[in-house]
Amino acid sequence: MNKYFSTKLSIFVFAFPALLLFTLFCVYPLLPEIWVSLHKHDGFRNLGFVGLDNYKDVMANSSFWTAHKNTYLIVAISLLLGLPLSMMLAFFMDAQTPRFRRFFKTVAMFPAILSVTVVAQIWVAFYEPNWGLLNKILDSLGLHSWTHSWLTEKKTVMPSIGVTFLWQYIGLNALLFYTGIKTIPKSYYEAALIDGANYFQVCLRITIPLLQNVIKYVLILSTLGSMAFYSHVRVMTAGGPGDLSRTVIYQMYYTAFDTSEFGKGNAIAVIFILECLLISFVIQRFVAREKLEF
Amino acid sequence: MKTRSKVSAMFLMASVLLVTSACSSGKETSSSQSTDNPSPSAVSTEETKDTTKTDGKKIKMRVITLTTDENRNNIMEKFIKPNIAAALPNLEIEFEPGGGGEEMANKLKTLNASGDMPDVFWNDAGFFTPLKSTGSILDLTSYISKDGFLDKYSVPDALKHVDNGIYSLSSGADTYFSPVIFYHKDMFEKAGVKVPTTFDELIQISKTLKSKGMVPAVTPGKDGWGPKLFMLQQMIQIGDPQAMADLVSNKTDFNNPSVKEGAARIETLVKEGVFPDGISNLDYGPAMEMFTSKKAAMLWMFTWELPNLAKDETVDFFPFPSASEKYSPTETVQFWGSPLNGYAVNGKTEHPEEAVKLAEFLAMADALYFESLGAPISLQTGNQAMDRSPLMQKFVDWYSPIPNKIASMALNSLDSRTSAEMSTQGANLLTGEYAAEDFNVEMNKIWSENTWFDK
Repeated sequence: MNKYFSTKLSIFVFAFPALLLFTLFCVYPLLPEIWVSLHKHDGFRNLGFVGLDNYKDVMANSSFWTAHKNTYLIVAISLLLGLPLSMMLAFFMDAQTPRFRRFFKTVAMFPAILSVTVVAQIWVAFYEPNWGLLNKILDSLGLHSWTHSWLTEKKTVMPSIGVTFLWQYIGLNALLFYTGIKTIPKSYYEAALIDGANYFQVCLRITIPLLQNVIKYVLILSTLGSMAFYSHVRVMTAGGPGDLSRTVIYQMYYTAFDTSEFGKGNAIAVIFILECLLISFVIQRFVAREKLEF
Repeated sequence: MKTRSKVSAMFLMASVLLVTSACSSGKETSSSQSTDNPSPSAVSTEETKDTTKTDGKKIKMRVITLTTDENRNNIMEKFIKPNIAAALPNLEIEFEPGGGGEEMANKLKTLNASGDMPDVFWNDAGFFTPLKSTGSILDLTSYISKDGFLDKYSVPDALKHVDNGIYSLSSGADTYFSPVIFYHKDMFEKAGVKVPTTFDELIQISKTLKSKGMVPAVTPGKDGWGPKLFMLQQMIQIGDPQAMADLVSNKTDFNNPSVKEGAARIETLVKEGVFPDGISNLDYGPAMEMFTSKKAAMLWMFTWELPNLAKDETVDFFPFPSASEKYSPTETVQFWGSPLNGYAVNGKTEHPEEAVKLAEFLAMADALYFESLGAPISLQTGNQAMDRSPLMQKFVDWYSPIPNKIASMALNSLDSRTSAEMSTQGANLLTGEYAAEDFNVEMNKIWSENTWFDK
């Protein structure tokens, strides 16, 4: 049997359908995108070759860098806050009784299955500066100076949207971690307990290292998901006020569709694809490279 | 092993036979259904279309129209849906909600780019140019002249674009849409304030209203809706109407001191607390709700909302108060209309005549609706003039004699990019964290690249 599956031809035959689909739907569309990015294009007409001018114009635009700052802020919130929190929730879930765990799983999954529009509207109402729940709570606690117009102030708009994103997907990540925890053999924990390890030592020395494949998966999922962040911004602030809450994807959409500068919109897309490829490469190259078998 | 292989092979063959027979039976069914055609395989596409018509089958049409406000929903539910089947029995119409503003513009631009334009759609000056350049919008002149629909307009020339083509059919109510300040008389009374006649008085009464726990004024600010559509224009106009007229016709720019003062007035309004916190993220619906539920004492809005607001007897309106002696509300006013706003027909539709008839029906539905509210229209419906509400009569009495009517900058002076950037900059201005000076610098740069007037 092995002799059939080990030849290069058989590998090619089995991989070909997937490769064909990937080339057709992922690689091929990049070619016209690159071509359009080198032209002045309004979405309907090609108005001439402009070389790298679109790239220069895009990078000279302050909104492009604001969008980058916002996108990477969301990535940072998602990774530095979201991942540790969801892992802590997974540990918490693991320590509960089966009945509570079932309840927790449902609750954790609920925001993730809701439509982004619904979630965003709930949070828009929550952040509403005049009668929103958040400011009301702060007021009732005597913290009036902490109240803000959360979605229109420069300092608060992106963190506020980031919290919404975090809330929606933290439970999903926690479930992924929890599933990973459940695959670790119990004998490892038993051995550690016999050796006198406490709960935190077990988590740090056994669970987290053995979860590295799941961590890598969640890391890639969260990073690329955060980089493609768009829908929440669209519903909650429409990228505003001004350009304050635009992400790179939003800036690309705005440039291509709102201002009808498809050439520049495609230039943003090409730059962003390169960024995503670089980040994926870094994660693949440096995170969890050892093969785990247990 | 051999037996297992044989069983597998037989199972596979049986599956293939089953699938093949299923497919072939489908084909047979389909040909048996079209026995009227002498030779289905030999019938060309054109002949099929003809057969579709002569067989009495309905022609399918797609329509995308505005669905943003109560007026539009009322027109759809009360005037279009109940009557369309009887009026156009040969058509089967699929309505798609278009939303409004940038949402609708982007939707139509995308459909145009992908060659999937509807047969009939609501056209807007903001996205007319790309549709025209790709032949996606039909010049209706010959169609509506031939069938006499053009004669139903009291001022047919008002439908003509600068190239003399007619691209959109409307009720003509747009020309009577103008931004005003609606207010609740009882809230003003309760706060002990009077209708302001100057900009300074407006600020003063807003402070008083705020001190009484009321939100002084509200308007949609999300995505710069208010500033782009009327607020900037009003704030310039109340100081210097001529400067505003010059800006609309590109005779001046954002370096003009009067134009700069207009932006500065918006900054003042925000900083003085005339609007609620978070105004720059306030959508159309919530802004309306704040006023109708009497959380806000004033609503800055176009008079297309007047028929709905007039249902509340405590609602009245006043024109934007003056900021200099150059402006008088009885001498100058902004109007919304553009010959490009209305129902348009896809230039590539397979059934242009039917599509034009559909557009005419829709424009007439608009006219009947606005007429039923007592609103002035220029498309004659053949009905007796309806009684107007006192508020509508007050508006018509004030608006009609005004000699200097300035067209809306948002519809008549901005290309796609300038329009989008004005939304962005306008929303910035509403935050109170963005100086009017910065707004003017940015807008002047954008204005210098505006291609609207490159003709």
